[in-house]
Amino acid sequence: MPTYEIGRLLRAGTTGFVAGCAVSQFDAPTFGALVRAPLGGGYQVYGLIYDIHIEDDGLVRQLVTAGNISAEVMRDNRERRIVPVEMSVLTVGYEQNEQIFHLLPPRPPLSLDVIYSCDAAEVTRFASAGRFGYFRHILRAQDAPIGELLAAHLQQTGQTNPAWREAATREIITLLRDDYPALMGVLGALGDIA
Amino acid sequence: MTINFQQIYTQLRQIGANASAQKKTLEERRALALRLLNERAADLDALREKVETARAADASLRCALPLTEPLDFHAPPPAAPLTGVILAADGSQIVPSRHKAAQYSLINVGVIALQVDSAQAPEIFIESDLRYDDEDLPSESQIALRRDLAERRNLLEAAERYPGQKISLTDGQLELWGAGDDGEARREFEKSLQDYLRALQTFHQKEIVSAGYIDKPAASWLMRLLEVLTLSPDELPDLKNHHPLRGVSDVWLMGRSLGAGERSAVSAFQARSAEKYTGDIALHFFYINVGDARHPAIARVDIPRWVAQDAARLNQLHLALVTQSRLMGARPFPYLLHRAHEIAVVSQQETAQVDQLLELTLRQNNGELDEISGKQSAKELPKRK
Repeated sequence: MPTYEIGRLLRAGTTGFVAGCAVSQFDAPTFGALVRAPLGGGYQVYGLIYDIHIEDDGLVRQLVTAGNISAEVMRDNRERRIVPVEMSVLTVGYEQNEQIFHLLPPRPPLSLDVIYSCDAAEVTRFASAGRFGYFRHILRAQDAPIGELLAAHLQQTGQTNPAWREAATREIITLLRDDYPALMGVLGALGDIA
Repeated sequence: MTINFQQIYTQLRQIGANASAQKKTLEERRALALRLLNERAADLDALREKVETARAADASLRCALPLTEPLDFHAPPPAAPLTGVILAADGSQIVPSRHKAAQYSLINVGVIALQVDSAQAPEIFIESDLRYDDEDLPSESQIALRRDLAERRNLLEAAERYPGQKISLTDGQLELWGAGDDGEARREFEKSLQDYLRALQTFHQKEIVSAGYIDKPAASWLMRLLEVLTLSPDELPDLKNHHPLRGVSDVWLMGRSLGAGERSAVSAFQARSAEKYTGDIALHFFYINVGDARHPAIARVDIPRWVAQDAARLNQLHLALVTQSRLMGARPFPYLLHRAHEIAVVSQQETAQVDQLLELTLRQNNGELDEISGKQSAKELPKRK
């Protein structure tokens, strides 16, 4: 899981931000991936991608009615036209002075800040800091598909660390012990990655 | 809401009351147009002779001049495969405004080049020309002339990057437009025209097909020709006022005559303004239905004579326009022309950005900066939602 520049920031708030990239950069971002926005001075914001969407426009709507779309037109629309892929990111923590916090950041990233995907070591470092404090941000997210997001995150992060995955699952059960419907939804999604 | 809808309502009632009678008149005129076309379509020598007689009576006559194909000619798109490169160019501009703090002009030209069947993304070329220190601020028509020349120059530069057959498209008529009435504007136009004619010659020398695409054209060159046919010798002096087919359009006629993807006969232009285009670059045109038989979409295509006389290149142009337009689905229009427009167009937001950047540059460099006018300032006030 090497680190890549996956896009630049379009808009941001304390609890989340939206990044955009050209379709030609579209290989890197994946649902559930941990990303970071370095803001200089040893400060960077971490987030999980919980939605990837591709906006349409009038021309694309018209082209889909035409049937035969040539390879040249396909590539023109994907590589040349300014139609960004947008990634919604849920803020899950930040790093300052080489210390990771699973808290909301003091300030969000700014327009056009570069967003990077985290490599395996960075993911492990973030996820292993503290006691899964960032799960509460995920469980509180209104717009994110929480079960699927947790499942994707556990799948990606726990690939090389089954012990972490088991501990993370136990933590989720603890956090959701008073919310049976939500717990069943999350466990159902986690069951699909077992 | 600033429209007086009471007045509009009264006027709409009047329009409604006249609609039926107007339609009846239009149908009678359309029937006459069809009859004339059916009777005289193949009589090419007589048609040309009639145009010549009418032109002698009124040198400002503007109508189609038939060549070798009958007026009701229609040909489907050729079966030969499309090859080579298709290029399209479009331009956009910011005209100097005395109401702004800094008066400047900007011409933005976009060219897109697509290599047929290459599976490659088209290549895009953009030229943005910002001018601030023009001694005499150019007028809107002067900017338009510069833009047209820039489109042609950029098309040529882009086309030269590719080997093989090249077809270049521009939006609008091929004839340069905008001859001013006063001396200075006319001199500027004449100079631009000479540059433009040289550019068209260069396209010919380099065998780059140039075509101007006029979607749903307003001018009715064929209808004017049919009107000329109805003239008796006694009526020739009153040619200017002779309009028995007023309201009947070439678009309507071609919509009836041309099947899906078909083109019409190639004609020349009988027009004083077109006389500057001589020899191999003399202007010709044909109509094309880029829609289907039930929903025709008629466009006029202007081409130079050397393309009109080269059957292979004419066929490739025909095929390119049909192929390109079909890409756009239910509203056919050449895809690359639309893309060239998308690339070239300067949005209001971009204009505001250039305004700000120029003002900032002038301020930082101790330049002269005017005050924005009260009128402009008032226009920029936030509107009520």
